[in-house]
Amino acid sequence: MSKRVQILLFILPGLILVGLFVYGFTAWTFQVSLTNWRDVGSTGDFVGLDNYIRLFSRDRVFKTSLVNTLKLTLVFIGVTIPLGLFLAVLLDLNLKGKQIFRLIFLLPLSFSFVASASMWTWMFSPQIGSINALLRAIGLGSLAQPWITSDKQALFCIAIAYVWQFSGFSTLVYYAGISGVAPEITEAAKIDGASTFQRYIRVIIPMQRPATLTVLMILLMYSLRVFDLVWLMTGGGPGSSTEILSTFMFRTAFNRNRFGYGAAVGIVMFVISILIVIPFFAKLRRSEYE
Amino acid sequence: MNRKTSKSFSRTRDITKKSVIYLLLTIAAFFYLFPIYTAVNTSLKSNEELAYGPVSFVKSPEFSNYLKAFSEIDRPIWNSFVITMVATAISSALGAWGGFGYSKLKFRGSSILFLILVLGFYIAPQSILIPLLRFIGSIGLYNSYWGLILTHTAYGIPITTLLFRNYFESLPTEVVDSARIDGCSYIGTFFKIALPLSLPGFAVVSIFQFTNIWNEFLFGLILTRGADSQPLTVAIGNLKGTTVASWNIQMAGMLISVLPVLVVYIFFLKLIVKGLLMGSVKG
Repeated sequence: MSKRVQILLFILPGLILVGLFVYGFTAWTFQVSLTNWRDVGSTGDFVGLDNYIRLFSRDRVFKTSLVNTLKLTLVFIGVTIPLGLFLAVLLDLNLKGKQIFRLIFLLPLSFSFVASASMWTWMFSPQIGSINALLRAIGLGSLAQPWITSDKQALFCIAIAYVWQFSGFSTLVYYAGISGVAPEITEAAKIDGASTFQRYIRVIIPMQRPATLTVLMILLMYSLRVFDLVWLMTGGGPGSSTEILSTFMFRTAFNRNRFGYGAAVGIVMFVISILIVIPFFAKLRRSEYE
Repeated sequence: MNRKTSKSFSRTRDITKKSVIYLLLTIAAFFYLFPIYTAVNTSLKSNEELAYGPVSFVKSPEFSNYLKAFSEIDRPIWNSFVITMVATAISSALGAWGGFGYSKLKFRGSSILFLILVLGFYIAPQSILIPLLRFIGSIGLYNSYWGLILTHTAYGIPITTLLFRNYFESLPTEVVDSARIDGCSYIGTFFKIALPLSLPGFAVVSIFQFTNIWNEFLFGLILTRGADSQPLTVAIGNLKGTTVASWNIQMAGMLISVLPVLVVYIFFLKLIVKGLLMGSVKG
């Protein structure tokens, strides 16, 4: 068998499946987004860019869901990155029991978003939830809040659940990055008289740029696509106070059967995915050729 | 004398420092464990004891809650088990196959094709849901195991191929070359040389896929209806918010659904960590 035939045999199965399911379907979604297709039986008529024009000019819920996606992303990343770095440094100090703490920090990663949602819905429930119960138990009952039943606090509650579930990932990547710092470098800093604190602040943490880029990309990617957590905790409510792009897309396409319009939201999400990932891929390719 | 006091001084300082670090670690551990504690606690409470709230420690544990929860979700557990096992096996095998190709048969354009393939992992699934539902329906696989297995396999390929390519990159090219000199085709080399050496790779990739597919919700929500082939995550989602199950039963069900992956995490933490790092840092 010639090398060329063998190459094709190795790469075709994957390329065909991904070509169809990812790229073919995305193109198909784009085609649907140019129609007014609604309801399962019909196919809809070509309407050009009408769906997109409507999304960006008139749809207030879409705008809300864009803003909420951004807010959730900012809170989620703003907490997860410093928290992960901080916990990784604590673990790196090599105290007894480190293994157990590491396992505890990674444990929530094993939960599905569905399980987290089910647990945190109940945690944040104002009457029977554990958070208010804990506050009352330690005499801070006056701080009890309406949590997910309030349109002002619900998005914040989701962000907390999200941080709980996913921050172990950033701890893990930073921990690997910090352990990867060559011992000669920390030794040299020690000889120069740097205290432990200075060593981390001046030497080790500044070396974590690659880890930060990795974490940032994965967190951005997940905060765009996260669906289960929001759908099950609040269903986008109260009102549209926690509606994000993924729940808006799902509701539009599969609850209201407005496939054309929902497809347009899907394409907007596709474009955002590409915008997130392109800078990282460009950087990766550059470093590969260096 | 002087030296001695400074030494004991630094020792007390060390102890203070250590206590501060332990305190911080414990606060973090509390944040991660408190929800799990209250969930386990509540899952064991009888309906009467629920009234005392979720924080107070359970007095007479009601293990039958787990049986009740199990009877609500036994079929979905089985569905998830079959779908996850089969999809993990197929997507890992295809990942090894393709990963070997991209690693050991470099050709013009291979790095571009590889990039396009891996990019598939990063695209939000919402942009393909509508065609996915239509396509799976049109080939008669709506509400079936094979519909979900096919979907999970296809969306697993970018990451499994990436993981295996990285794994085979660490395999010296000479090993492949020497087999080639002995007259082996690339395909022969894959089966005789690479595959037997890739067991550690399979361990990492299959655990990675197992946890992902077991925990997946959105595809299951769209591609199934009713308990026949519904995955466990969807069943747990349905349990929530219904009046069929009170909170103790819901928490028991939730914990049952988490258990397989939790066990994998506790026993194979090293492999999990490896998979997560390989899939992201080198990605």
